[in-house]
Amino acid sequence: MKPLSREASLVMVLGVLLAVLGFAAPAFFSPQPLLSRLSMEAPCLVATCGMVAVMLVRQIDISVGSQFALCSVLAGTLASKNLPTSLLVPTVLLAGTVLGGFNGWLVAILRLPSIVVTLATMVILRETVRWHQQGALLNLPADLQWFGLSQSAGQWTLIAAALLLTGILAWALQNLRAGRCLYAVGSDPEAARLAGISPSTTKALTFLLCGLLTAAAALMNLVQSPQVDPKSGTGLELKTVAAAVVGGIAISGGRGRLWGAALGLLLLATISPALTYLHVEAYWEKAVQGAVILLAVILDRKSSATP
Amino acid sequence: MSTAFHHRLARIRALVFRHESLLLLILLAEWITFSFLGRRFATWENAADILRHSAEIGLLAVALTPVILTGGIDLSAGSLLGLCAVIFGKLWRDAGFPPTLAAVTAVAAGAVGGLLNGSLVTRLKLPPLIVTLGTFSLFRGIAEALTRGTDTFTNFPNTFLFLGQERLLGLPTQAWIFFLLAGTAWLLIHRTTAGRNCCSAGFNPEGAVYAGLPLSKIQTLAYVGVGTVAGIAAVIYTARLGQARADAGSGYELLAITAVVLGGTSIFGGTGTIHGTLLGVAALAVLNNGLVHARQPRETAGILTGVLLLTALTLTTLAYFRSSRKPSRTQPSP
Amino acid sequence: MSAVLELRSITKSFGPVRALRGVSIALFPGQIHALLGENGAGKSTLIKVMTGAHQPDSGELLLDGKPSQPLSPVSARAKGIACIYQQPALFPDLSVAENICLALEPHSALSRVRWKNRLQTATSLLRRIGAQFSPETEVRALSMPEQQLVEIARALGSGARVVIMDEPTASLPEQEANRLLEIVRELASQGVAVLYISHRLEEIAAIASHVTVLRDGESIATLPMEGVTHDQLVELMVGRKVAASAPLPAPSTASGPLLELQNLTCTAAGIRNLSLQIRPGEILGLGGLVGAGRTELARVLFGITPADSGSILLENHPVQIRSPRDAIGHGIAYLPEDRRRHGVILPMPVEHNMTMAVQPRLFPWTWIRRNRERSMANQFIESLAVKTSGPEAPVGSLSGGNQQKVALARWLATRPRLLILDEPTQGVDIGAKSEIHSLIRKLASEGLAVLLISSELPELLALSHRVAVLRGGEIVRSFDAPPTPQQVLQAALGYGEKREVA
Repeated sequence: MKPLSREASLVMVLGVLLAVLGFAAPAFFSPQPLLSRLSMEAPCLVATCGMVAVMLVRQIDISVGSQFALCSVLAGTLASKNLPTSLLVPTVLLAGTVLGGFNGWLVAILRLPSIVVTLATMVILRETVRWHQQGALLNLPADLQWFGLSQSAGQWTLIAAALLLTGILAWALQNLRAGRCLYAVGSDPEAARLAGISPSTTKALTFLLCGLLTAAAALMNLVQSPQVDPKSGTGLELKTVAAAVVGGIAISGGRGRLWGAALGLLLLATISPALTYLHVEAYWEKAVQGAVILLAVILDRKSSATP
Repeated sequence: MSTAFHHRLARIRALVFRHESLLLLILLAEWITFSFLGRRFATWENAADILRHSAEIGLLAVALTPVILTGGIDLSAGSLLGLCAVIFGKLWRDAGFPPTLAAVTAVAAGAVGGLLNGSLVTRLKLPPLIVTLGTFSLFRGIAEALTRGTDTFTNFPNTFLFLGQERLLGLPTQAWIFFLLAGTAWLLIHRTTAGRNCCSAGFNPEGAVYAGLPLSKIQTLAYVGVGTVAGIAAVIYTARLGQARADAGSGYELLAITAVVLGGTSIFGGTGTIHGTLLGVAALAVLNNGLVHARQPRETAGILTGVLLLTALTLTTLAYFRSSRKPSRTQPSP
Repeated sequence: MSAVLELRSITKSFGPVRALRGVSIALFPGQIHALLGENGAGKSTLIKVMTGAHQPDSGELLLDGKPSQPLSPVSARAKGIACIYQQPALFPDLSVAENICLALEPHSALSRVRWKNRLQTATSLLRRIGAQFSPETEVRALSMPEQQLVEIARALGSGARVVIMDEPTASLPEQEANRLLEIVRELASQGVAVLYISHRLEEIAAIASHVTVLRDGESIATLPMEGVTHDQLVELMVGRKVAASAPLPAPSTASGPLLELQNLTCTAAGIRNLSLQIRPGEILGLGGLVGAGRTELARVLFGITPADSGSILLENHPVQIRSPRDAIGHGIAYLPEDRRRHGVILPMPVEHNMTMAVQPRLFPWTWIRRNRERSMANQFIESLAVKTSGPEAPVGSLSGGNQQKVALARWLATRPRLLILDEPTQGVDIGAKSEIHSLIRKLASEGLAVLLISSELPELLALSHRVAVLRGGEIVRSFDAPPTPQQVLQAALGYGEKREVA
């Protein structure tokens, strides 16, 4: 029997989980909380796209959480200085791109190991934000909320935007030369170089893309609340890596599909509310997430070990 | 070709040496600067204080060095510290264990946690980054579940707090444990085959197997070492603060890894030293403490830590490239 | 007719090392031009200059008779220069079709991938070279020779006019090597200029029309292949007369077998029902194609992939070998095929490498005794004549032959009873090769049992007292006296005489 693809098995697991919820806790499916949970995850999905791209080229970016926080605070500061939204959005996106580009420059051009580089930038950015804010929340102007739409329309817009973006990126990764270059560089950088693809440029641009997507995620998060928390985005790097791993993206690069990572995120995001609805104490959330990550890689290994 | 390779390798070795001298220089510069900036910085009191506050991260960094030498990584050390602290607190308060027995059990629990990481990495051949990312969540999650997120253990007896808050023979009590373990680690890494085999495993794991080296054993022991030390650090942490909570040691894994890498250990495995790691720990600890004395905001220390890490890494890498590449460009052939 | 690619007095230095000091070579369409030289003669550097990976310090590069700009990897490919490396430079996670087409397609990052076209291109290219696998296979699932075919298909697809082949048959057994040679001839007949690099003189004699010999970074001579003898070529390469190899010493007097295998089976390694005997002082040669089970058998005996069933008897006592440590404990040593990956640990010092397998004996309680280690290393450096700047030099700084000697020293230090040698002279220059050959003979004459695996038939036949030929994980024939190359080949390929199990 042909082993199931990662995406198919994830769909099955999700299906079972949702079915159990449907029987045991139909309240889980009441539209309003479900909608807001999904829209809360929308920024995370966008950030996951960036992380997937970085992991495909055999790198890792653990500074995305800090980038997210810095972009959020920057947006909040600019908004409180009454910068019009039409200028604010590109400025924040540019800032994210610059941050990602800086990581990319260090990794690709100076050839420093990405895990150490992004560990350093993570600390630097996080402490900078803390220094600047001293823990204070920033109030946002009301017209930034939900893009000035009603709440549910705003939520739908966010979810649709995140899905659309993921769809486009997933398509591009499979069908554009640029996407295939990511897979090629991640699969074997030396072979890529011999095939005329520059691994360092590809890596640098991937980090750039990751920064851009993280900034977009920060903006998508921002419009959902009236305030900016300088601590926002803490742990985002681990959440996105976890989603990618559960979704079948190989840490060694070159393997896995974006849809898998999106499903992985959905699974991880379903677990914690599911626990509440199934009357398991919410304190177990982290433990269960850890177990899911371990289970995913263990099953992966087991299935690939028996051809 | 082979001569070029030889030169490069000789330079790497020279660089490792240089790296530690660079660190020593940084440490010296920090000490002089803060002696001028902070009035009460250059005192025995303060030196003891620095020691007291760096013991836990120092312990984790020393234990992480062999893991990174084998080419692995352990992100779960801080979470495991938290779990062990909670286990310790629960055993003492709820199960009525005397502190010593509770401490031994907590350390054993740490070893078991490390064994879990080690077996997943060696038995199932899973990437250490992912395994320990999973246990990072898992250990912290169990700690939170055991305490329902909020339970805090306090009111430990003074005999126990002596370990974390008093002095023994002029030094903070926990410093003796730190020195003892760091010394043991130094001997293990630099004077026994265990350490050398860690390097072999880091350079070329397959080659190590073909040489008949017990690769799985080396790797597993390295992770068990981190787990055990995380248990010890948990006990010290609890004694220093007089309380145990589920969030104990959050972020310590990253600080410890920072110290190890700053100390010159290659994140890809193979090269590195315990004394380098100790210098890395010292550089970070003095920076943190000195900035407080110089009345700088707390965050400056974090920012400077990151900058220091990047600078040290860039300098060594640039020096490496200059030594191995430049000649071919600048020396025209006759 | 003008040369497609011509190099005149090319020089190239790396720091103080002068890798190329005046190389001239001209490649003509439709010709197979062989490049010969000992390891370190500058072959790899020359290839890298031709493919644009290195810029020469001085000298001229002409394309179609016209002086050309310095090449870059991209411009070299655009001008039709392709290189097939020893280790295939492929993407293991991608499909064969994608591997072939990725470099051929337009370089615009936003261009769309046309999967159907890719499949068609790949299928027709694979058909041209007679490859059997589907273009949709993931490359990681292919064998090494199959991967080389993918490389050749890619070179063909790029419309290459110059194809450089760097020891393409080094890891191939005779049959597959012969098929590859056919494909090389086919390439040349289509008008491609081929630069063919190999250590195997027979091969070069069989296909090349011209040969250039490189020595110490200089092109010593370019000769038409016709009328050149092997001895002449070897002399040009080493610059001195090589002593003829010593005659095979007589097999040791009959004694009980040191090692006996009875119905050994290991499914994971593909070994089936294998039985053989080897006596002390005997060199038993294992013949067969790559994948026939020779390296796999060695890995079973050394405990890397332990056997499922059957028995291993050492001096008539059954033993269990579950790990390399067990094997070492029983006096079995294994010099693996892939020296750089398995044989030595390149960045580690010579002395550490040499003592690696005897750590428990040399260092009680794991405590390192530097003096013991140093003196043991110095002994081996002297007795094996290892050329190194010292015992503390990293193995990576030595030449291939000397690295191999270090690997060998590691196993001799264990004082083994059975030594398994897997391609002991692969990628080793001619001087070191004959040294290793006489060492093997000497060890056997001292009573060591040697299991020799070699894809080079002359080597296998010159050294072995007896030869067993494997196919499909079984011994298909065994010869008690040295057989002829034809006999071995026939048994390995599975035709000719009737099957006769040992």
